[in-house]
Amino acid sequence: MDWLLAIRFDLDTVGDFLFDPIILRAMRQTLQIAALAMVLGVVLGVVLAVMRVSRNPIVSGLAGVYVWFWRATPVVLQLLIMYFGLRQLIEDDLFRDNWTRWRAAVITFGLNEAAYMAEIVRGGILSVESGQMDAAKSLGMTNLQAMRRVILPQALRVVVPPTGNELIAMLKNTSVAFAIGVVELMNAAKIQAAQSFKVMEMYTVAAFWYLVLVSIFSLLQAELERALTISERERPETLFSRALTLMGGRRGI
Amino acid sequence: MSPRSLSRISLLVFVALALAAVLAFAACKDDKKEGTTPPADQTPAGIDISGVPELQDGVLNVGSDIAYAPFEFYIEGTETEDGLDIDIAKAIAAELGVDIEFINTGFDGLIPALQSAEFDILVSAMTIRPDREDQIDFVPYITVGTGIVVPAGNPDNITGLDESLCGLTLAVQVATIQVTFLEDLNEGACADNNVDIVTFDTNPLAVEDLRTGGSDANFSDFPVAAEDAAQSDGELEVVEPQIDPEPYGIGVDKGSTELKGVIADALQAIRDSGEYDQILAKWELEGVALQ
Repeated sequence: MDWLLAIRFDLDTVGDFLFDPIILRAMRQTLQIAALAMVLGVVLGVVLAVMRVSRNPIVSGLAGVYVWFWRATPVVLQLLIMYFGLRQLIEDDLFRDNWTRWRAAVITFGLNEAAYMAEIVRGGILSVESGQMDAAKSLGMTNLQAMRRVILPQALRVVVPPTGNELIAMLKNTSVAFAIGVVELMNAAKIQAAQSFKVMEMYTVAAFWYLVLVSIFSLLQAELERALTISERERPETLFSRALTLMGGRRGI
Repeated sequence: MSPRSLSRISLLVFVALALAAVLAFAACKDDKKEGTTPPADQTPAGIDISGVPELQDGVLNVGSDIAYAPFEFYIEGTETEDGLDIDIAKAIAAELGVDIEFINTGFDGLIPALQSAEFDILVSAMTIRPDREDQIDFVPYITVGTGIVVPAGNPDNITGLDESLCGLTLAVQVATIQVTFLEDLNEGACADNNVDIVTFDTNPLAVEDLRTGGSDANFSDFPVAAEDAAQSDGELEVVEPQIDPEPYGIGVDKGSTELKGVIADALQAIRDSGEYDQILAKWELEGVALQ
């Protein structure tokens, strides 16, 4: 078992750093950036998706170009351009004071996410039968009214599962923001690893917290999907609903 | 779907896979530059490398974070390594009669990579520090201090590694001794008004952050700081004088006693022959010579 002894892994260090303020602060950064960017991404993504399915070629073309641009370049490149590039271009002090690395990260991740969300929401819209639009319009609704009151609510069920995936991916991808000096969970671990030489120990701490965060999100996502399922029979079981059943509670919420 | 279009699809898939395989193979071939000359037991300087397991393949594999001019960098527009460290490593390899191969690795990953034998030695402007010596062994080869780069005119009146930095934002590269210096400062002179330490993967990104006003100063090794200031068209300047000159070391894994021995011998040989001084003179860094 020589090879096992060769691994200098110190479990105590993992324990010491699990709740270290530096790590916890960095985790808050991760959560804040991912959550805010996701909100921006979803809102802008819905707008883009509605534009994309428009019959007006200019409107749908604009949305198409947006999606093309943000999906065709790596997010780290987008970060570097949005932060360093813009700051170099606009030497105004007022802009530079306000265009912080943190804000640049949130907005860049949000704009990037919008391109992906646009495609997801577009898929959702297309999954709703075209007859629904005709029916809504025959009741005197305008295109936008029909979209907001009839089509989008139905598209929601198709859109929620991939959106959960996007949020989980976002949570992990925020580590790329280190390119512009933002320190979130992954890079706080990296910096601590570099300073202490406890490399694997620090990365274990980061892995632990990523697992916890993503697990919590996955559970919440399952609950949301369950709530959105109309048919009682097709409603998926979740950890929470199973626990309720086991405890003799009522089935269904 | 007609059988015809199906077979067309499978043909496409086949071509794509074949292409991927060819590319992967080409990449492999490129990666594996086998040493062409079998190692001779007696090298030009008479250093016996027969007892050094790492050199039996005829190649000295050198890890370096190649983004730190003038020590290690790629010549603009090429993939050719250049710099003072690169020249010293090449001279050592020539002295040992082996080929040399550089493996570009992020600075924070160098020590772990050396410990897991991804390369034989590291030459990467690394200052010898007690905490690093706990991890790997060093052969000292030059003596260098650190330097602070500021916008031209030094608007924050920075005087050195002291109270003048308190409350300012400093851009530094991750895993460098500059981070350690600043953390020490935050526990000492700047305990009440901490330096905001912003870390980047590479030093050029840290300099870019200073140039675009995201931080008030950049902190790196003195010759690098001087080079960055010189290349900035008068936008940046370096705070004189250089701070705490300390020896840089060639890193060797703790288990590699024989390798460490021949590296030290080869270094001594190029110092005796005058090649060492020539390299330092070439980079206009005569001041960093070992005393």
